[in-house]
Amino acid sequence: MTVTRIVLFVTGLAIGLYGAWLLWEFPTVIIVRIAVWAAVGVIVHDFVFAPLSAATGFVGRRLVRGRWWTPVTVAGLSTVVLALLAIPVYSRPGARPDNMTVLDRDYPLGLWISLAIVWTCVPIYYLITRLLPVGQNEVVEQESADDVEGQPPTA
Amino acid sequence: MAARVGVALGVAVAVCFVTGLISHFIQHPQPWFFWPTRPVWLYRLTQGLHVISGIAAIPLIVVKLWSVWPKLFERPLIGGLTKQLERASILVLVASMFFQLTTGLLNIAQWYAFKFFFTTSHYAMAYVAAGAVLVHIAVKLPVIRRALGEPVGDVTDGGAVGPTRRTVLWGTGVAVGLATVVTAGQTIPWLRKASVLAPRSGQGPQGVPVNRSAIAAGVIRRAQSPDYRLTVTNGSTTKAFTVADLAAMPQATRQLPIACVEGWSVNAEWTGIVLADLVAAVGASADSDVRMISLEPPGPYSRTTVPARHTRDSQTLIALKLNGEVLDLDHGYPCRLIAPTRPGVLQTKWLARIEVVPA
Repeated sequence: MTVTRIVLFVTGLAIGLYGAWLLWEFPTVIIVRIAVWAAVGVIVHDFVFAPLSAATGFVGRRLVRGRWWTPVTVAGLSTVVLALLAIPVYSRPGARPDNMTVLDRDYPLGLWISLAIVWTCVPIYYLITRLLPVGQNEVVEQESADDVEGQPPTA
Repeated sequence: MAARVGVALGVAVAVCFVTGLISHFIQHPQPWFFWPTRPVWLYRLTQGLHVISGIAAIPLIVVKLWSVWPKLFERPLIGGLTKQLERASILVLVASMFFQLTTGLLNIAQWYAFKFFFTTSHYAMAYVAAGAVLVHIAVKLPVIRRALGEPVGDVTDGGAVGPTRRTVLWGTGVAVGLATVVTAGQTIPWLRKASVLAPRSGQGPQGVPVNRSAIAAGVIRRAQSPDYRLTVTNGSTTKAFTVADLAAMPQATRQLPIACVEGWSVNAEWTGIVLADLVAAVGASADSDVRMISLEPPGPYSRTTVPARHTRDSQTLIALKLNGEVLDLDHGYPCRLIAPTRPGVLQTKWLARIEVVPA
């Protein structure tokens, strides 16, 4: 394994440095723009997108319980992915009047329909799991520490 | 869990990197690079995969980063030199991946929100990203091996309340499938209706989309001029053809895809003169590299070179018709190159001049 790791490391370093050298050939102003673009992506993810996702998950986990949680998280992830893919097409920022074959769909309609389909699958999935026989361990697995059955009254 | 999503992401990145390099070396040929003419849809496949794997990497990287994001705040924040190096390598990895995925996604939608040249920066950064992936695998290999040995039924690192690995993997698979379905229709015809977020519907004049319009290329007047001639040269031998001359030559019809670097592609029926016949008309061997020069003013794609392998292939046409009609102005009227396995950007439109390159 050590040999594999060394080979991977050295190859990776060589390829990466070649890329860095290619970037170095650009004028300084372009290098700065490229670096800023890359850095903004990381910052937006680490300090905006990720905390927001974590907060949504934290709150959501307290509102959505039991068997609903799995389909809701998958629908949430799907929503994020659809939204990301919609960014460059939604308002057709790259459209040019001389070429009607680029960005030639109704993207708002497409996005909303696909989101509607995604979220329609949530109750369908819930019903399917309700109707299928499920082992006790799976039920427990999907519950959080706060999911406590109704307790007998303490007399 | 992070390891399993990581493997999928690694596969997507590898496919994207290799297909990207293929596309680069077709456009910037190197002596050691070999690009066949069969199957005719080969570039359609590789470039379709390039964009599909890049888009598939988006949900994968979202999940991957979600699963490792808490490590960002792991104590100690600074740590020793090894820890700092590892963090720096991950910063390079994440930043270069973001750069590749965002610029790629914007480019296929022709949205140039960035003020640097897309092709060269995307090409250079591809090596940085690929290198960073390899370094990351080298560093993490023991962890990856251990993680892949664990059963998928266990809960994730979040503890007893987290979703099971199986749930996360299954959910990630759904997201990847969805991302593919809503975009891949621009190259996979039967997905067209479902690809609601694809930059191309696949429609266009004569059933084929356009990347560079006649207006953008500034060729309308010259392309429609009665003085138009296609000049074919071989050293001192020169012949000029009017549109009528070209139409009077033996015509051939071929089914060839047009496949754009931006990942869309469609199949079409092209009719025109076999390039090898035109080359023979000026007394040159079909075993020659041939330069295609457009009416378009000089620019990065106004002239391209057809390698000898494609020149001698009888599938390679100087097309006058598309899907049974005279070429639309936006498709390169009066005549254009259409060859198998070439990126659309090298299928030179509005041809003005064809030069046999001296061997």
